[in-house]
Amino acid sequence: MKESYRQADENELVQTSLKGDKLAFEEIVSRYRKLVARTVKGMLGDSVFAEDIGQEVFIKLYYSLPEFRGEAKLSTYIQKIAVNLTLNEIKRRKRFFSMFSQKGNNEMYEYEIADHEAAEKREATELVNKALMGLDPKFRVIVVMRMLQGYSTKETADILKLPLGTVLSRLSRAQEQLKEILQTI
Amino acid sequence: MNPTEIKKLIIASAAEEADPHETPGKLEDEGVSFDFSSDFTDKVISRIFTEKLTVIRDIDFGRSLSTVFYRIALTGVAAIVILLLSIFLSEGSISFNSFLGMGNTYDESVLYLLTGI
Repeated sequence: MKESYRQADENELVQTSLKGDKLAFEEIVSRYRKLVARTVKGMLGDSVFAEDIGQEVFIKLYYSLPEFRGEAKLSTYIQKIAVNLTLNEIKRRKRFFSMFSQKGNNEMYEYEIADHEAAEKREATELVNKALMGLDPKFRVIVVMRMLQGYSTKETADILKLPLGTVLSRLSRAQEQLKEILQTI
Repeated sequence: MNPTEIKKLIIASAAEEADPHETPGKLEDEGVSFDFSSDFTDKVISRIFTEKLTVIRDIDFGRSLSTVFYRIALTGVAAIVILLLSIFLSEGSISFNSFLGMGNTYDESVLYLLTGI
Protein backbone atom coordinates (compact mmCIF):
# COMPACT_ATOMS: atom_id res chain seq x y z
CA MET A 1 0.00 0.00 0.00
CA LYS A 2 2.75 2.45 1.02
CA GLU A 3 4.65 1.54 -2.14
CA SER A 4 1.91 2.97 -4.36
CA TYR A 5 2.15 6.29 -2.51
CA ARG A 6 5.91 6.33 -3.06
CA GLN A 7 5.36 6.26 -6.80
CA ALA A 8 2.55 8.83 -6.80
CA ASP A 9 3.26 12.34 -8.06
CA GLU A 10 2.80 15.34 -5.78
CA ASN A 11 -0.59 16.36 -7.21
CA GLU A 12 -2.00 12.88 -6.60
CA LEU A 13 -0.64 12.97 -3.05
CA VAL A 14 -2.19 16.40 -2.44
CA GLN A 15 -5.58 15.30 -3.78
CA THR A 16 -5.54 12.10 -1.70
CA SER A 17 -4.41 14.00 1.42
CA LEU A 18 -7.30 16.41 0.94
CA LYS A 19 -9.65 13.46 1.30
CA GLY A 20 -8.07 12.83 4.72
CA ASP A 21 -5.74 10.01 3.65
CA LYS A 22 -3.15 9.68 6.41
CA LEU A 23 -0.69 7.63 4.33
CA ALA A 24 -0.67 10.13 1.47
CA PHE A 25 0.24 12.96 3.80
CA GLU A 26 2.82 10.77 5.52
CA GLU A 27 4.46 10.35 2.12
CA ILE A 28 4.49 14.15 1.61
CA VAL A 29 6.19 14.58 5.00
CA SER A 30 8.76 11.89 4.19
CA ARG A 31 9.52 13.44 0.81
CA TYR A 32 9.94 17.02 1.95
CA ARG A 33 11.25 16.70 5.51
CA LYS A 34 14.89 17.22 4.43
CA LEU A 35 13.93 20.29 2.42
CA VAL A 36 12.24 21.76 5.49
CA ALA A 37 15.10 20.68 7.77
CA ARG A 38 17.65 22.53 5.61
CA THR A 39 15.69 25.77 5.87
CA VAL A 40 14.64 25.49 9.50
CA LYS A 41 17.89 24.11 10.90
CA GLY A 42 19.94 26.37 8.65
CA MET A 43 18.07 29.36 10.06
CA LEU A 44 17.57 28.33 13.70
CA GLY A 45 20.51 26.03 14.30
CA ASP A 46 20.35 22.40 15.33
CA SER A 47 18.05 22.74 18.33
CA VAL A 48 14.79 21.28 19.65
CA PHE A 49 13.06 24.47 18.55
CA ALA A 50 13.97 23.66 14.96
CA GLU A 51 12.29 20.27 15.29
CA ASP A 52 9.14 21.96 16.65
CA ILE A 53 9.07 24.52 13.86
CA GLY A 54 9.58 21.70 11.36
CA GLN A 55 6.47 20.00 12.72
CA GLU A 56 4.55 23.29 12.60
CA VAL A 57 5.46 23.66 8.93
CA PHE A 58 3.82 20.36 8.01
CA ILE A 59 0.81 20.97 10.26
CA LYS A 60 0.30 24.34 8.58
CA LEU A 61 0.76 22.69 5.20
CA TYR A 62 -1.92 20.09 6.01
CA TYR A 63 -4.49 22.72 6.94
CA SER A 64 -3.62 24.97 4.00
CA LEU A 65 -3.71 22.20 1.37
CA PRO A 66 -7.21 23.25 0.20
CA GLU A 67 -5.66 26.61 -0.77
CA PHE A 68 -2.86 24.97 -2.78
CA ARG A 69 -3.87 25.41 -6.41
CA GLY A 70 -0.95 23.56 -7.92
CA GLU A 71 0.29 26.58 -9.91
CA ALA A 72 3.69 26.39 -8.21
CA LYS A 73 5.61 23.29 -7.18
CA LEU A 74 4.61 21.79 -3.84
CA SER A 75 8.24 22.14 -2.71
CA THR A 76 8.11 25.91 -3.32
CA TYR A 77 4.82 26.15 -1.43
CA ILE A 78 6.32 24.23 1.52
CA GLN A 79 9.45 26.34 1.33
CA LYS A 80 7.41 29.54 1.67
CA ILE A 81 5.64 28.17 4.76
CA ALA A 82 8.99 27.09 6.26
CA VAL A 83 10.61 30.48 5.65
CA ASN A 84 7.64 32.39 7.10
CA LEU A 85 7.41 30.26 10.23
CA THR A 86 11.17 30.37 10.78
CA LEU A 87 11.36 34.15 10.36
CA ASN A 88 8.42 34.53 12.76
CA GLU A 89 10.24 32.35 15.29
CA ILE A 90 13.39 34.47 14.95
CA LYS A 91 11.33 37.63 15.52
CA ARG A 92 9.62 36.03 18.53
CA ARG A 93 12.96 35.03 20.04
CA LYS A 94 14.42 38.46 19.36
CA ARG A 95 11.52 40.05 21.28
CA PHE A 96 11.92 37.51 24.10
CA PHE A 97 15.66 38.01 24.45
CA SER A 98 15.47 41.78 24.17
CA MET A 99 12.87 41.70 26.96
CA PHE A 100 15.06 39.72 29.33
CA SER A 101 18.56 40.63 28.25
CA GLN A 102 20.48 43.66 27.08
CA LYS A 103 22.61 41.38 24.93
CA GLY A 104 19.70 40.66 22.59
CA ASN A 105 20.67 38.62 19.58
CA ASN A 106 24.17 37.67 20.71
CA GLU A 107 22.83 35.60 23.55
CA MET A 108 20.53 33.75 21.17
CA TYR A 109 23.44 32.81 18.92
CA GLU A 110 25.58 31.71 21.86
CA TYR A 111 22.78 29.45 22.98
CA GLU A 112 22.27 27.98 19.53
CA ILE A 113 25.96 27.35 18.99
CA ALA A 114 26.29 25.69 22.41
CA ASP A 115 23.28 23.52 21.62
CA HIS A 116 24.72 22.75 18.24
CA GLU A 117 28.11 21.73 19.71
CA ALA A 118 26.42 19.44 22.16
CA ALA A 119 24.85 17.60 19.27
CA GLU A 120 28.33 16.52 18.10
CA LYS A 121 27.57 16.81 14.44
CA ARG A 122 30.17 16.33 11.84
CA GLU A 123 32.79 19.01 11.42
CA ALA A 124 31.56 20.25 8.06
CA THR A 125 27.95 20.62 9.22
CA GLU A 126 29.21 22.36 12.33
CA LEU A 127 31.23 24.79 10.26
CA VAL A 128 28.27 25.62 8.02
CA ASN A 129 25.99 26.06 11.01
CA LYS A 130 28.40 28.33 12.84
CA ALA A 131 28.86 30.46 9.75
CA LEU A 132 25.09 30.75 9.28
CA MET A 133 24.36 31.50 12.93
CA GLY A 134 26.79 34.38 12.88
CA LEU A 135 24.89 36.05 10.05
CA ASP A 136 22.15 38.60 10.50
CA PRO A 137 18.82 36.72 9.98
CA LYS A 138 17.90 38.78 6.91
CA PHE A 139 21.17 37.78 5.25
CA ARG A 140 21.06 34.24 6.64
CA VAL A 141 17.77 33.42 4.96
CA ILE A 142 19.18 34.36 1.56
CA VAL A 143 22.34 32.31 2.07
CA VAL A 144 20.26 29.32 3.22
CA MET A 145 18.08 29.57 0.11
CA ARG A 146 21.11 29.59 -2.16
CA MET A 147 23.71 27.53 -0.38
CA LEU A 148 21.55 24.80 1.18
CA GLN A 149 18.49 24.77 -1.08
CA GLY A 150 20.14 25.66 -4.39
CA TYR A 151 17.62 28.33 -5.39
CA SER A 152 18.61 30.97 -7.90
CA THR A 153 18.54 34.63 -6.93
CA LYS A 154 15.25 35.06 -8.80
CA GLU A 155 13.65 32.05 -7.10
CA THR A 156 14.90 33.34 -3.72
CA ALA A 157 13.37 36.75 -4.42
CA ASP A 158 10.09 35.07 -5.35
CA ILE A 159 9.96 32.88 -2.23
CA LEU A 160 10.89 35.72 0.11
CA LYS A 161 8.68 38.21 -1.76
CA LEU A 162 11.60 40.64 -2.04
CA PRO A 163 12.76 42.71 -5.02
CA LEU A 164 15.60 41.08 -6.95
CA GLY A 165 17.87 44.06 -6.24
CA THR A 166 17.37 43.65 -2.49
CA VAL A 167 18.27 39.97 -2.69
CA LEU A 168 21.43 40.78 -4.67
CA SER A 169 22.56 43.51 -2.29
CA ARG A 170 21.86 41.34 0.75
CA LEU A 171 23.74 38.47 -0.87
CA SER A 172 26.78 40.68 -1.39
CA ARG A 173 26.65 41.91 2.23
CA ALA A 174 26.15 38.33 3.43
CA GLN A 175 29.30 37.32 1.60
CA GLU A 176 31.25 40.08 3.37
CA GLN A 177 29.86 38.96 6.74
CA LEU A 178 30.65 35.32 5.96
CA LYS A 179 34.29 36.18 5.24
CA GLU A 180 34.61 37.92 8.61
CA ILE A 181 32.83 35.12 10.49
CA LEU A 182 34.82 32.32 8.89
CA GLN A 183 38.11 34.05 9.70
CA THR A 184 37.30 33.75 13.39
CA ILE A 185 36.23 30.10 13.29
CA MET B 1 37.78 18.52 1.54
CA ASN B 2 39.46 20.25 4.46
CA PRO B 3 37.80 23.00 6.56
CA THR B 4 39.58 25.74 4.60
CA GLU B 5 38.10 24.49 1.35
CA ILE B 6 34.66 24.22 2.91
CA LYS B 7 35.03 27.81 4.09
CA LYS B 8 35.91 28.85 0.55
CA LEU B 9 32.88 26.98 -0.75
CA ILE B 10 30.61 28.72 1.76
CA ILE B 11 31.93 32.14 0.76
CA ALA B 12 31.75 31.32 -2.93
CA SER B 13 28.13 30.15 -2.59
CA ALA B 14 27.14 33.70 -1.64
CA ALA B 15 28.69 35.16 -4.79
CA GLU B 16 26.21 36.48 -7.33
CA GLU B 17 27.85 34.62 -10.21
CA ALA B 18 27.98 31.26 -8.37
CA ASP B 19 25.79 28.44 -9.67
CA PRO B 20 23.35 27.87 -6.78
CA HIS B 21 22.44 24.38 -7.96
CA GLU B 22 26.00 23.09 -7.43
CA THR B 23 26.67 24.10 -3.83
CA PRO B 24 24.07 21.92 -2.00
CA GLY B 25 25.42 18.80 -3.75
CA LYS B 26 29.04 19.68 -2.95
CA LEU B 27 28.21 20.34 0.68
CA GLU B 28 26.26 17.10 0.93
CA ASP B 29 29.27 15.23 -0.46
CA GLU B 30 31.25 16.65 2.46
CA GLY B 31 28.71 15.33 4.95
CA VAL B 32 26.80 18.54 5.47
CA SER B 33 23.29 17.28 6.00
CA PHE B 34 20.25 18.59 7.76
CA ASP B 35 17.43 16.33 8.83
CA PHE B 36 15.02 15.91 11.72
CA SER B 37 14.92 13.04 14.20
CA SER B 38 13.94 9.58 12.95
CA ASP B 39 10.44 9.74 14.49
CA PHE B 40 9.73 13.17 12.99
CA THR B 41 7.16 11.92 10.44
CA ASP B 42 5.26 9.92 13.08
CA LYS B 43 5.18 12.95 15.40
CA VAL B 44 3.77 15.19 12.65
CA ILE B 45 1.12 12.65 11.66
CA SER B 46 0.03 11.99 15.23
CA ARG B 47 -0.13 15.73 15.97
CA ILE B 48 -2.29 16.40 12.92
CA PHE B 49 -4.70 13.55 13.41
CA THR B 50 -4.96 13.88 17.22
CA GLU B 51 -5.59 17.63 16.92
CA LYS B 52 -8.16 16.89 14.24
CA LEU B 53 -9.99 14.55 16.65
CA THR B 54 -9.94 17.22 19.36
CA VAL B 55 -11.43 19.75 16.95
CA ILE B 56 -14.16 17.27 15.97
CA ARG B 57 -14.93 16.65 19.67
CA ASP B 58 -15.11 20.44 20.26
CA ILE B 59 -17.49 20.84 17.33
CA ASP B 60 -19.68 17.99 18.64
CA PHE B 61 -19.82 19.58 22.08
CA GLY B 62 -20.75 22.94 20.56
CA ARG B 63 -23.48 21.34 18.48
CA SER B 64 -25.08 19.51 21.44
CA LEU B 65 -24.90 22.69 23.50
CA SER B 66 -26.74 24.70 20.85
CA THR B 67 -29.33 21.89 20.53
CA VAL B 68 -29.95 22.05 24.28
CA PHE B 69 -30.35 25.85 24.15
CA TYR B 70 -32.66 25.54 21.16
CA ARG B 71 -34.86 23.04 22.99
CA ILE B 72 -34.97 25.17 26.16
CA ALA B 73 -35.89 28.24 24.10
CA LEU B 74 -38.65 26.32 22.28
CA THR B 75 -40.07 25.02 25.57
CA GLY B 76 -40.03 28.59 26.95
CA VAL B 77 -41.88 29.99 23.94
CA ALA B 78 -44.44 27.18 24.15
CA ALA B 79 -44.99 27.91 27.87
CA ILE B 80 -45.54 31.63 27.19
CA VAL B 81 -48.07 30.86 24.42
CA ILE B 82 -50.00 28.47 26.70
CA LEU B 83 -49.98 31.06 29.52
CA LEU B 84 -51.32 33.81 27.22
CA LEU B 85 -53.95 31.46 25.82
CA SER B 86 -55.14 30.43 29.28
CA ILE B 87 -55.30 34.10 30.36
CA PHE B 88 -57.36 34.92 27.28
CA LEU B 89 -59.73 32.04 27.92
CA SER B 90 -60.23 32.78 31.60
CA GLU B 91 -60.22 36.61 31.51
CA GLY B 92 -61.63 37.21 28.02
CA SER B 93 -58.79 39.55 26.96
CA ILE B 94 -55.04 39.82 27.07
CA SER B 95 -54.71 43.24 28.73
CA PHE B 96 -52.18 44.09 31.42
CA ASN B 97 -54.89 43.80 34.09
CA SER B 98 -55.99 40.39 32.92
CA PHE B 99 -52.34 39.36 32.92
CA LEU B 100 -52.23 40.40 36.61
CA GLY B 101 -55.51 38.53 37.26
CA MET B 102 -57.65 41.71 37.59
CA GLY B 103 -59.39 41.67 34.20
CA ASN B 104 -63.04 41.07 35.26
CA THR B 105 -62.78 42.46 38.82
CA TYR B 106 -64.93 45.50 39.78
CA ASP B 107 -63.32 48.20 41.90
CA GLU B 108 -66.07 47.82 44.52
CA SER B 109 -65.42 44.18 45.04
CA VAL B 110 -61.75 44.96 45.43
CA LEU B 111 -62.61 47.57 48.06
CA TYR B 112 -64.91 45.06 49.74
CA LEU B 113 -62.20 42.49 49.78
CA LEU B 114 -59.66 44.96 51.16
CA THR B 115 -61.79 46.82 53.71
CA GLY B 116 -64.64 44.42 54.46
CA ILE B 117 -67.22 47.30 54.16
